[in-house]
Amino acid sequence: MDKVKYFFRQSWLLIVASFCFGLLIAVANAAWQDNIFQNEEDKFNNLVKEMIPDANTTEIVLENVEVRSGKGKKKVTSVRKAVSGDGQCVGWAFTCEGSGFADKIKLVLTVDAGFEKLKGYGVLSSNETPGFGDKIKEPYYRRQFVGAPTAELELVKLGNPEDKDSKIVAVTGATVSSEAVVKIVNTFLGRIKNHMQEKGLIDNGN
Amino acid sequence: MATNGQGSVGIYRGTLLAGLWRENPVFRLLLGMCPTLAVTAAVKPALTMGCCVIFVLVCSNIVVSLMRNLLRPHLRILMFTLTISTFVTIADLFLKAFQPEMSAALGPYVPLIIVNCIIICRAEACASKNGLAISVIDAVGMGVGFTITLCALAGVRELLATGKLFEANVMPGWFVPWAAMGMPVGAFVTLGLMLGLVNTITGKKN
Repeated sequence: MDKVKYFFRQSWLLIVASFCFGLLIAVANAAWQDNIFQNEEDKFNNLVKEMIPDANTTEIVLENVEVRSGKGKKKVTSVRKAVSGDGQCVGWAFTCEGSGFADKIKLVLTVDAGFEKLKGYGVLSSNETPGFGDKIKEPYYRRQFVGAPTAELELVKLGNPEDKDSKIVAVTGATVSSEAVVKIVNTFLGRIKNHMQEKGLIDNGN
Repeated sequence: MATNGQGSVGIYRGTLLAGLWRENPVFRLLLGMCPTLAVTAAVKPALTMGCCVIFVLVCSNIVVSLMRNLLRPHLRILMFTLTISTFVTIADLFLKAFQPEMSAALGPYVPLIIVNCIIICRAEACASKNGLAISVIDAVGMGVGFTITLCALAGVRELLATGKLFEANVMPGWFVPWAAMGMPVGAFVTLGLMLGLVNTITGKKN
């Protein structure tokens, strides 16, 4: 009993403060959560619109799709259908993430309606080295993914970036970041494609 | 009475001005080097970081000052960290909700304010030993001093790295941007030169 009393006498301020501060954060979070969610949605939709100009809205068709990245880590994503003004499916979009050079890279990947060719990718968040790794955000590198097949992509150091094939030419001085993007795309693309075929959302190619 | 009033004003003024020059956290105390080097590639993120630090410093100094008589010596660092992390989380949520672009630009450096030495130093050196008024004034002085320093560094770097200030072109057409100033090397060189300048001025004064 004395030990319990001693414990509370020593730590009551810590317990009370933890409760009060937790409450304060909960209130702030509740007050601003809608704005935060809306900002994330806007950013996602803007990137999708940039890559699929015909897309009017996006709607979630698959939720909580598990993707295993390297080292047995599990990531969860949702697949969205990009719908044009007249209700036609004009593509698919989903977020994907993986390790970059300095920090986690989070991308939005878009593919065409038949899931045959990539429409491109956009960077949701990354902290790659300014002037080098952050060139993964620039059109020079991103353009190479537009029209590339939804098969396994390969990173090469030399080649023609204008070719619309599965070879992606790395950014000079930023091989790790370039490789990270290709790896993220490969990891998520294969898994999402299989999952969508299983669910009958796209043809299985047979 | 009048003398006491004058004395208090003098103490308040001295405390406020200490953070701006005599005890400037960056130039004189060499504290908060991580954000100083990391977010000073442009003025906007530097200013945002400075405002976040002012908010966290003022709030944490208020709370620490109010509970200074209740603090147990062996739990005080834990209480400081708990207090600081609460206000940093609130600042981070605020940026995500209302300044999403700045939040993305600052990346992990906003959450890292929790381990910023300036804040824990002021909590320990000032707020835990002084009343509310002096703690708030100290926080404002230190915070503004930190912000001015960050903006000065960022101004030089942004100007030389891009030829712009607040993203507006200010340099003549013949100016060739020094890309290196936007990279970590630019941060170290600019900080080093500014420290040298401040030491020279201080040395002459002494």
